Amino acid sequence: MVQDKLLKIHNLHKSYGDLDIFKGLSLAMDRGDRLVIIGPSGGGKSTLLRIVMGLEDITGGDVYLDGKPYILRDGGKTKIDHKLQARVGMVFQHYTLFPHLDILRNLTLAPVKTRGIPRAEAKAMALLERFGLAAKARAYPSQLSGGQKQRVAIARALMLDPDLLLFDEVTSALDPELVAEVEAVMMELADHGMPMMIVTHDMHFARNIASRVVFAAGGVVVEDGPPEQVLDNPQVARTREFVERVFARKK
Amino acid sequence: MGYELQFFYVWQNLDKLGQGLLVSLELTGLANLIGLTAGFAIALMLRARMPVLRLPATALVELFRCTPVLIQVVWFFYCVPILFNLFVDPMVMGVLALGLNLAAFNAEGYRAAIQSVPREQYDACAALGLGGWSRVRHVVLPHALRAALPVLMTNGITIFQQSALVALVAIPDLMYEGKMLATETYRPIETYTVVAAIYFAISAPISLIVQRIEARFDRVQA
Repeated sequence: MVQDKLLKIHNLHKSYGDLDIFKGLSLAMDRGDRLVIIGPSGGGKSTLLRIVMGLEDITGGDVYLDGKPYILRDGGKTKIDHKLQARVGMVFQHYTLFPHLDILRNLTLAPVKTRGIPRAEAKAMALLERFGLAAKARAYPSQLSGGQKQRVAIARALMLDPDLLLFDEVTSALDPELVAEVEAVMMELADHGMPMMIVTHDMHFARNIASRVVFAAGGVVVEDGPPEQVLDNPQVARTREFVERVFARKK
Repeated sequence: MGYELQFFYVWQNLDKLGQGLLVSLELTGLANLIGLTAGFAIALMLRARMPVLRLPATALVELFRCTPVLIQVVWFFYCVPILFNLFVDPMVMGVLALGLNLAAFNAEGYRAAIQSVPREQYDACAALGLGGWSRVRHVVLPHALRAALPVLMTNGITIFQQSALVALVAIPDLMYEGKMLATETYRPIETYTVVAAIYFAISAPISLIVQRIEARFDRVQA
């Protein structure tokens, strides 16, 4: 029997008033995939992640997780299966830690309150240890550097053992010297086989971490393939134009 | 014309001013009790989607914010008994007038504070599966109450000063006792100066604490 795709987005439509963000975007992802999404700014890369997290309404289409209907339109409304939503985790550009809770409580709040997970503290300490943050367990977010905050945010998302982890420009707000520590954590997760969907502007990092690169523009997927193809040898003219422009800017 | 300041009579009657101060503090304390609790309830009503809840709350807040406190006190004292056939202790009326006034202002403070919770915090909650009461209790409220604290404290001491208006309806507060003393001793300048100093001595430290708290919040937010 063929195993269901981890994530399947089918004919996704999304518009804000007159502005169409997605015009029938389709995309599928296997368990072993680490998908990096690239594309022009304002093209809806972050919106796509937010939709997969269940944070946005959609205008049409459907999303499946593990072959089960996760997000769909029904009776003019967006229906989200919250059981499936709980299996997706997300890390945001601006950390979104809870400022009034210390680091340990940031990690344990959701597991304890929503799932009644026992020994959440031990698990949290193990994660902090793994990311080199054990000494900060009792510190507050305002006392941490941006890089540390983002590593905490990743640990917090991991507390719920997500089947899929979304990263929305997680290094864009960081000072350049702090980017590496966050990317190192993500590489470590990749080595452990964590399925990820990543939006980033760092093409070098994209090449290192991606198993597949998706170029999305004009509301659809334009090109989808291994990084060597999409970044180095794009098959579609529109992708080539974008990649050349991005790399030209870097030089 | 030479006027010789004579504080002797004021010092001699300081115990009366003290009794008045206790009444003022009692009014302020009870008004704050109403203001902090009813204010929160009204704030929730202001945010309600149902007009049945939202409109009366809006009307109440605007009524209290757009009329002088002096008139509110007088209205509660003279008009409520006649209109509603409700004759109660003047102190109760004073507490009600000041308390509801404070509730209206605090409701605005709470509402603004709840609105100031960044959208990202809600996103984070959704991504972590924190919903309903857990989200309110552990994320929205702690955030909002911190944001509201300086406003609530400022409103709280403002009502302490506004409470002087109840002297007009013969509640024996600090202002009332001061007025009596000034008339008895023919020493209005000295008496009112001391009364003002007492109001100031209570309000100023709290005002300073509010400034400290605000400065600390600014640091934490940064």
